[in-house]
Amino acid sequence: MPTPPRPLDATLHGVVDYNMGAFLIAAFPKLAGIQGTRSARQIRLAGAIHAGYSALTNYPLGVVKALPYKAHLGLDAAGAIALAATPFVTGQYRRGTRQWLPHVALCVAELSSLLITDPTGRGDYHGNVEAVRQANAIDPGSKLRNGGPAVRRSAAA
Amino acid sequence: MRANVWSGRNGVQVENVPDPTLLNDRDAIVKISSTAICGSDLHLYDGYVPTMKRGDILGHEFMGEVVETGRGVDNLAVGDRVVVPFPIACGNCWSCKHELYSVCENSNPNAGIAEKMFGHPTAGIFGYSHITGGYAGGQAEYARVPYADVGPFKIEDDLTDEQVLFLSDIFPTGYMGAEFCQITGGETIAVFGAGPVGQFAIASAVMLGAERVIAIDEYDYRLQMATARAGATDAINFSENADVVEQLKELTGGRGPDAVIDAVGMEAVSGHGVVHAVDRVKQAARIESDRGAALRDAIMACRPGGIVSVIGVYGGLMDKFPTGAFMNKGLTLRSGQCHVQRYIKPLYERIRKGDIDPSFVVTHRLELGHAPDGYETFKHKQDNCVKVVLKP
Repeated sequence: MPTPPRPLDATLHGVVDYNMGAFLIAAFPKLAGIQGTRSARQIRLAGAIHAGYSALTNYPLGVVKALPYKAHLGLDAAGAIALAATPFVTGQYRRGTRQWLPHVALCVAELSSLLITDPTGRGDYHGNVEAVRQANAIDPGSKLRNGGPAVRRSAAA
Repeated sequence: MRANVWSGRNGVQVENVPDPTLLNDRDAIVKISSTAICGSDLHLYDGYVPTMKRGDILGHEFMGEVVETGRGVDNLAVGDRVVVPFPIACGNCWSCKHELYSVCENSNPNAGIAEKMFGHPTAGIFGYSHITGGYAGGQAEYARVPYADVGPFKIEDDLTDEQVLFLSDIFPTGYMGAEFCQITGGETIAVFGAGPVGQFAIASAVMLGAERVIAIDEYDYRLQMATARAGATDAINFSENADVVEQLKELTGGRGPDAVIDAVGMEAVSGHGVVHAVDRVKQAARIESDRGAALRDAIMACRPGGIVSVIGVYGGLMDKFPTGAFMNKGLTLRSGQCHVQRYIKPLYERIRKGDIDPSFVVTHRLELGHAPDGYETFKHKQDNCVKVVLKP
């Protein structure tokens, strides 16, 4: 069974987080035709919270780096489910599909993005460059400059 | 034995695994003395090549000593020192008879998968996903080498491992890329990518008589190696000026290079941040499998009637392939996984004659146990890394 692709590394996940946060706050309510409603306020709040804890996350695009990456992913999942459940808890779902479908759609989108996220958070350098330097039997800098041309012009082989 | 295995995206680890055994009469077992991390291994590491399985042994550049042979292998003996070409080729099929070893029709047991992706099956490759046969690779203490009567090349003098190891892949690959350019003397060749294959493409273009060879990369230290060691006459760092096409025109009196070699492949980086971001997101979302910044620029920069030589590895589909420029400028596109078995002997002779010392690319020599850090260092271009050799 091939390993399912997990193309979203921690950096790309961060890009999605901030863009999604901004999108939910600035554009989504209008595009979904729910401007001025309670649903719009709920979705804007979700976007702000999402962007907020992204800034606190310990990943490449985090600002404060206080929240572990896996906890961030857990909040993503919990937040998505909470958002989807909100219209049904408040009863607003009775006022029509526009009062619950956007919440559920956003939940599905968020859970889908989690399915393709690499949960290890290891998209960026996680090697030990000092260990490499100590183990390396060669001085890389000298190989770049010293020794002169390693090739000479010659006839065809 | 110990082997470096794939453990998921961005992960490799050195584990104890069962020793290989002879499975067929034409097999040999090689005790590996040197192996290397290839730029194309990073496509596996980064998760862009499907059908990898956890526990797959990586590595397709290796050499060592024959320790066991099957009954059908009469050209090798125990104790022979050999370099093993990365494509596994039967030597008998139509493709092999025409020296098209990397599209051998018999060596890939998962030919059906390759056929679905590429229209035809391609050869088996050591340690390079199950599309290419799921063969165990050479970043290990031992490897089973199928069709050992065809592939392994005997080294019968005292050249060091690092002088001959790259006959397994990157030297012939770079050479084939330069050979595609039909260099007869006096040409200007541009090479996108100054990684290990790019360095050998540059060196090969010089060997074949190109007058100017222009190296293009985003890392100064790699360009430094290209000019100081591989023989490039000019260097373009596209992180300083992203308009590579314009710079190539300026360097060539407005005409463009006679031929352009793409030694980058599916994880190309564009100097234009927005272009790169769009490609990166599309690739991550699997809307396209190959990022095409280098190939697009190669096609746009190449002079009318010129040749675009593609030796960087691509795996599937690319957006915005400039068909208009390609067709209207009358370009010739040449490409392929290298038919290493075709080139290995003549290039070995070049090394013996002193035309080239391939060991110039080696910046890191590490014990096999350091493979995980070696991958990370190579991937992220830390510590002036160009080429990592692992010693089992």
